[in-house]
Amino acid sequence: MIEVTDLSKHYGTHLALDAVSFSAKQGEILGLLGPNGAGKTTTMRILTGFMPPSAGKAVVAGHDVSEESYEVRQKVGYLPERVPLYPDMTVEGYVTFWAKLRGVKKTKQAVLTALEKVDLIPRRKSLVRNLSKGLKQRLGLAQALVHDPQVLILDEPTIGIDPQQIIEIREQIRNLAQAHTVLFSTHILSEAEQICDRVVILQRGKLVAYGTPEALRKQLYPNDYLYVEIDAPQRDKQKVENMLTALTGVDEVTRLAGGFTVRAKKDNDIRGKLVEKVLSSGYGLRELRPVAMTLEDIFLEIVGK
Amino acid sequence: MWTIFRREMAHYFTSPVSYLIAAAFFVLMGLYFNNDLTVSITTRAADPASVPSFLSFVMVFFAPLLTMRLIAEENREGTVELLLTAPVSDTAIVIGKFLSAWAFYSLLLMGTLVYPAVLVSLQIFPDLGIAVSAYIGIWLYGGAALAVGVVFSAVTDSQVTAAFLSMSFLLLMWLGDVAGNIVASFELADLLRKLSLQGHYSTSFAVGLFRAEDVAYFAGMIVVSLFVTIRLLEMRRWR
Repeated sequence: MIEVTDLSKHYGTHLALDAVSFSAKQGEILGLLGPNGAGKTTTMRILTGFMPPSAGKAVVAGHDVSEESYEVRQKVGYLPERVPLYPDMTVEGYVTFWAKLRGVKKTKQAVLTALEKVDLIPRRKSLVRNLSKGLKQRLGLAQALVHDPQVLILDEPTIGIDPQQIIEIREQIRNLAQAHTVLFSTHILSEAEQICDRVVILQRGKLVAYGTPEALRKQLYPNDYLYVEIDAPQRDKQKVENMLTALTGVDEVTRLAGGFTVRAKKDNDIRGKLVEKVLSSGYGLRELRPVAMTLEDIFLEIVGK
Repeated sequence: MWTIFRREMAHYFTSPVSYLIAAAFFVLMGLYFNNDLTVSITTRAADPASVPSFLSFVMVFFAPLLTMRLIAEENREGTVELLLTAPVSDTAIVIGKFLSAWAFYSLLLMGTLVYPAVLVSLQIFPDLGIAVSAYIGIWLYGGAALAVGVVFSAVTDSQVTAAFLSMSFLLLMWLGDVAGNIVASFELADLLRKLSLQGHYSTSFAVGLFRAEDVAYFAGMIVVSLFVTIRLLEMRRWR
């Protein structure tokens, strides 16, 4: 549905996007991650037909964005980072305007369906200027949906709204993926982890990681991390740490306030040996659990390099 | 294009600013007409082109007020990005917006038709041929002034800057006629008058002359201005 090959964009001498390639299948949610200035908005603007790439190719819904921009624009729904609104219009009037502009045939029905999807039917007669920020965000989503596009491109759709509204928007994005391919950018990593099937991590215009959050985790952290809490007197802490470090298959031990994190060497399951060693040394085992690396860790690892 | 046109027309009719502009417009026109009528009773015959001729100066200030919002606000609110990613051409966007301003101006102009009607009802029969010619002229003149306003609205995201720039430009175009009166060289004076807005109105339409070159001048100004605006909008894609 989205096929990006060696996409580059220059702004004068500044290279904003450097030979980026990725793809998204039908019904997939693809997250675009990266710090500010990484090239997320530039990528989205190229994919929506707002501006042409300097080099490379982008195909959206079967059409090349450079050569068939008009067709692409018909099949893409776009929500820019700053929700573009006409404050003087009513909610219904605003969505109707975009529906007509995009050549929707049964406008009234399409507008009501879009408003229903974002739960704005009760507010459809309200003036846009009177809506709260969260409702404005939903209205932005409604205009992106009204022509039933094959691809939805959402630039930071959860920015600047309260936690309850964030949850609602995320839920709506998840529901939308059943009928549309969704590309959305965020810098909230837990959000990408919750919603996305795959993520693209950009940094200074370059693609630095691409895959499912699980695959990225495996790729960057092939070793298992364990959290261990041992019932031992305070004075024995150093002794316990040495004991854990000496265990075969252990790569690194870090002492925390309550317990330890233990990193195993690659492809080593040390849990059995660890339990055995602790118990045979006369200590009790309060807690033993794997520590999952979050996308946040992955991101910091990559971006920090 | 018509979707854009309808949206802009709806805005003119729902915005308090438009009503204020319209009110100021009619107060000014009314005062001027009243003055001309008073003079016509005592000193000279009523001028059938008095209100349109006064409008040729007033439009230097009113045209920018009617157009300043058209694209500058889209730039400021960020809606221009969405507009440029909708399946609609830049030409349709610009023409739709320009036509809405011209249509609103046409409605204001139609409101001033009450003045010739007052003259007729007072049994002062002006030369209606001149009145018709003056109205056609000022309608085209207004179109050209509005088209210039649209250009400056696309240049900036501030309505005030857009209005200031187009007022300055229109004033220069208007003063070209005055400059033509004070330069010594006959050729230069002629050229300045040919380029000025007034030069194509006050000596032709306002005195009942309907010349193809004046129509071509205003039409040309509209086409060139809209062309420049479309290019300005396209430039946003390349930034």
